[in-house]
Amino acid sequence: MKSLDEGGAIQRPLVAVVDDDESVRESLPDLLGEFGFGAGVFASAEEFLASNSVGRTKCLVLDIAMRGMTGLDLQQELKVRGHTIPIVFITAQKDETVRKRALEGGAVGVLLKPFSDTALLKALNTALGLG
Amino acid sequence: MAVQPESSTEEIRRLRRCINDLVSVLALPAIWTGGGPSHIVSNLLDALVSMLNLDFIYARLGNSGASEHTEMMRIGPTLEPKPQPQEISERLRPWLADDPQKISPVVSNFFGGRDIALVSLQLGLHGEMGLLVAGSGRTDFPQQTERLVLNVAANQAAIGLHEANVLRELDQRVAQRTVELTSANEQLHEARAALEKAFDEIKRSEAKLCQVIDAIPTIAWCNLPDGPNEFLNKSWHEYTGLSPEESYGWGWQAAFHPDDLPPLMTKWREMLTTREPGEIEARIRRHDGVFRWFLIRAEPFLEEGNLIRWYGTSTDIDDRKRAEDALNKARAELAQVAQVTTLSTLTASIAHEVNQPLSGIVTNASTCLRMLDANPPNLEGARETARRTIRDGNRASEVITRLRGLFSRKNVAFEPFDLNEAVEEVIALLLGELQRNRVVLKPDLTADLPAVLGDRIQVQQVILNLIRNGSDAMSAVDDRPRELLIKTESDEGSAVRLSVKDTGVGFDRLTEEKLFEAFYTTKGDGMGIGLSVSRSIMESHRGRLWAIRNEGPGATFWLSIPCDTNT
Repeated sequence: MKSLDEGGAIQRPLVAVVDDDESVRESLPDLLGEFGFGAGVFASAEEFLASNSVGRTKCLVLDIAMRGMTGLDLQQELKVRGHTIPIVFITAQKDETVRKRALEGGAVGVLLKPFSDTALLKALNTALGLG
Repeated sequence: MAVQPESSTEEIRRLRRCINDLVSVLALPAIWTGGGPSHIVSNLLDALVSMLNLDFIYARLGNSGASEHTEMMRIGPTLEPKPQPQEISERLRPWLADDPQKISPVVSNFFGGRDIALVSLQLGLHGEMGLLVAGSGRTDFPQQTERLVLNVAANQAAIGLHEANVLRELDQRVAQRTVELTSANEQLHEARAALEKAFDEIKRSEAKLCQVIDAIPTIAWCNLPDGPNEFLNKSWHEYTGLSPEESYGWGWQAAFHPDDLPPLMTKWREMLTTREPGEIEARIRRHDGVFRWFLIRAEPFLEEGNLIRWYGTSTDIDDRKRAEDALNKARAELAQVAQVTTLSTLTASIAHEVNQPLSGIVTNASTCLRMLDANPPNLEGARETARRTIRDGNRASEVITRLRGLFSRKNVAFEPFDLNEAVEEVIALLLGELQRNRVVLKPDLTADLPAVLGDRIQVQQVILNLIRNGSDAMSAVDDRPRELLIKTESDEGSAVRLSVKDTGVGFDRLTEEKLFEAFYTTKGDGMGIGLSVSRSIMESHRGRLWAIRNEGPGATFWLSIPCDTNT
């Protein structure tokens, strides 16, 4: 896990990014930083669950199609574990069934890759109750 | 002295009479001409009996010993009482049976108490023609002149008879020859009749053959050894509407499609040189102007190494050809459907492959702008995000290039290509999907394989199909690794083969037979045309596609494609 503002003077809300695509893991933290969020990146759902960030995470930016545990699997798992982290799904595949299932599961939004910075910001603000 | 003149006068008179008689006798042959022996002798006897004032004259024709001889008799007017010829001949018989030369000149009491002097003369040198006996009761018979006349007459008769014999023989020979000729003529007639019959038979047989040749439902023809046409059957004339005069020689060319004639002539000239049988397809114009496809076949007819004729047929294959075209079209359409199906199922992974880097680009670019807009601008961060933008852009571009190569439908083009490269491209395209399906890909590509010949895109579609099938077959497998082994190797030097081995559910014997049938599928969401189209694609490459069940779990699909023989 990588956290940009651990121990920072102003406590920035932590946004965790879980995606098996490296380019997303590389680019999103910088943008989240520009938005004023703290960011943590994880290459898989399993890695996130195993980290100590779960409790601190204010919002989850979660890829749907991943090897092993998928984004939807993680959504269910967190629910089972009693975590109510707002989730913004991101996906490269336009699939209405999956989108429907994600929203029914309580997701704040489902963003189709590539998404604009404003769309992400809007979803994050909604998730964090800032907008 | 007085007697002297008298006797001289008598002598002169007798000599004159003798000369007259001789002239008459010498004139006789003129009368005989053309007559037979009996005519000659009968005429001679008449002349002599009156000329010499004989009591009788007898003639026998032919040798007395011969079985056939003719006797003739003339009795003079002076002989009284008149005897029957038979009586005289009876009287003469004893002598004649003896040597006629020994006949005594005077026979006493020959007939009716009269003494008769006889003169016997042979006809012919040795009497072979017969005998002449003159008899007279006159005491001065025969006078010297009379003997002379008789001798000359006998000679004349012999000559006449000889000529008559020759003539008769000639006649006989002519008759014989005539008989022979008639017989020969009859034989000739018979032979001619037989020949005519045989000829009729041949004509009938030929007519029958012509009927067969004309009735067969194909165009049959015969060309001379150097190329021009000699014969075309009725089918040709009925189909083209061209008369025999218009078609013979090189006239038939007029009925061929202008596009097909040059290759046809090239082939024909080649065959004329090699004297080998051959075939070619070409369009021939029907009488109503419609062109139909024909398969033209020709065989050389050799006799002791000499080319006698070319025999050929032109068979209407238009319907078959249309069916083939329709089949090819259907196959192409099916391939298109399969491709679309593949495309639609691939859309997800394509979207993933393309959208992933695009997502990075958009995020990086947005971040970059925000960093530049900050106060103060975060130049270091902006530079880093810009660099990432470029990198992701290149990544997206590579994906698009691969996709364009795989799915832009070019014309089917056979060209040499490296099967390993083609496989690697397909793997690169499917890698993400395979990873998501937790399939472990194990490529085992043999280096330095010869180039294969074919339509690279089509073959890649087959490979893609096989890999996806293998991956799909393992989607339900959780108790063992989902391994996909992709191997390329040489196939007996003349081809390269590829195998895709999975550890999936495999197939049973029943399925094995139906595996490559169209619209057969074990998948809930498939159309079942992938493998049948794949196989027809491989067959169009003169290659093969087959499947075998593994010793362990799963199945292995094989494809074999011929090498490019030009390299």
